[in-house]
Amino acid sequence: MHATIQKPIGEIVKHIKSGEKVFVVGCNNCAWKCYSGGDDETKMMAKRLTDRGIEVTGYTAPGPKGMSLCKLDHTRKVLMEEHTDEVKKADSFLILGCGQGVHTVIDATDGGMVHPGCDTVFGGETVSDTHIEEYCSLCGDCIIEFTGGLCPITLCAKQLLNGPCGGAENGHCEVDEERPCGWILIYERLKKLGRLELLDPYQPAKKNSKWSRPRTLEVSPTEATFCSIGGKVTVSNQD
Amino acid sequence: MKLTTLFDKGEFVITGEVGPIKGAIHRDKSIEPTCAIEALQLHQHVHAVNVTDNQSAVMRLGSLAASVRLKTNGIEPVYQLTCRDRNRLALQSDLLTAYSLGIDNVLLLTGDHIQLGDHKEAKPVFDLDSVQLIDMAKGLKRGYDISGSRIENYLDMAFGAVVNPNSDPIELQIMKMRKKIDAGAQFFQTQAVYDVKIFEKFIKKVERFNCPIQVGIVVLKTPQMGRFMNKNISGIHVPDEWIDEIGSVGKEDYKKKAAEMAGRFIKKIKSMVQGVHIMPLGWTDIVPDILEHAQIKPANNKR
Ligand code: SF4
Ligand code: SF4
Repeated sequence: MHATIQKPIGEIVKHIKSGEKVFVVGCNNCAWKCYSGGDDETKMMAKRLTDRGIEVTGYTAPGPKGMSLCKLDHTRKVLMEEHTDEVKKADSFLILGCGQGVHTVIDATDGGMVHPGCDTVFGGETVSDTHIEEYCSLCGDCIIEFTGGLCPITLCAKQLLNGPCGGAENGHCEVDEERPCGWILIYERLKKLGRLELLDPYQPAKKNSKWSRPRTLEVSPTEATFCSIGGKVTVSNQD
Repeated sequence: MKLTTLFDKGEFVITGEVGPIKGAIHRDKSIEPTCAIEALQLHQHVHAVNVTDNQSAVMRLGSLAASVRLKTNGIEPVYQLTCRDRNRLALQSDLLTAYSLGIDNVLLLTGDHIQLGDHKEAKPVFDLDSVQLIDMAKGLKRGYDISGSRIENYLDMAFGAVVNPNSDPIELQIMKMRKKIDAGAQFFQTQAVYDVKIFEKFIKKVERFNCPIQVGIVVLKTPQMGRFMNKNISGIHVPDEWIDEIGSVGKEDYKKKAAEMAGRFIKKIKSMVQGVHIMPLGWTDIVPDILEHAQIKPANNKR
């Protein structure tokens, strides 16, 4: 999921000009799970803005529950067909969702003015209803085969591929006593699995071209094409 | 002169360390920066002097400029190069520049994280790790850059690396040390060590690599410093005995005591290693004393 956290209300309001009419858009998938932009938070944001003297023309978190704001055709239908008048009246849209959601609203409203209401912090695992952890940095060239599935790009503060730095102490990273050293996690896991030999080979420098932005993905039921500065890669899911 | 030449001759290699100033070198050539003055003090006693690269991620004069200044003064620098602030283009370019400017020794490391320094909002680079950096440097020695393109006039420098004998689990640190040797590391300087037993255990495990090791010594100046390091510097542990001993004398005798303690410690482990890397943290004047207590013949350079 895309983990998001609302920007402080003072910061949000600061960017809305006096007299500007705002339509609030939430997301019923990730932002709902983060309590940053589900139905309740979207409605609440409309009220918080109104309380601060801002005219809100309407609000919605396109449903049903579990529906992503970043699904363009659905968001467009909801905004343009179900909220036609409110959307028309609005000078801008405040989005309670991730950065992808913000862009989805731009597309859905044919280029409407937007305000990001959240900081998109990372892509994460929903470990529990109240706790989300980051395990992947979306680098486009996955190398966790040799680390037992734990990502050193994400779990090691220096993104080291050939083993730890000398800074870990009592299992913690030199950067932050609160976080475990990613390399010790990898080591302990592989030791438990009896697969420490996976760490032996030299790992060459990472192919960062696949981590270029922006990237695109063309998908179909039988094959997909990933496009980055590194070139186009097409892979079949059938052979 | 490459340090590897000395190791090959069986010399016990002594290196010191200075940190570049926070600021530029004076245009007036008669004014030496502090790091060069410290290095000049060390000069008679050590074979070479490490020049740190924005150490602890605090922005300073470049290690290359300071290294060149040392070289001009007749002091052999060990130019430190980290992956924290440079991508692979910059790292290779800097290595070629260093060689072109006369640098013979380079210590290749990952570098402290930006979070520990004075520019916390900077973008950490870490495009390569230290093993990849060494491997890439070896390529430049053989005539290729990391992308496989041929280069003119290959560089020819001695490649040093670091290892932390205090690391737990040590197996992981040793695995990385082995990878560094495979990649092209020719000698090692260790993180600061204060515990003979830990070091002995470590040495037994890495003897088979047959690669020269200089034990790292950070001079313990005051009991406060020991406590500070234990609390704030990851990967170093100063045992209570050390802190108590330095604290057992009056402030005015700290220098004398520090030299005695460091020297005594080196004496105990010198037979296990091929050299010593002394980090005096500004107390360069006590290095001769340390060597005397350690019963090590100073390098005795001539200017
Ligand atoms: S290697 Fe890349 S794709 Fe794989 S988990 Fe790490 S960041 Fe994600
Ligand atoms: S302590 Fe561990 S997680 Fe932190 S930078 Fe070093 S190797 Fe990476």
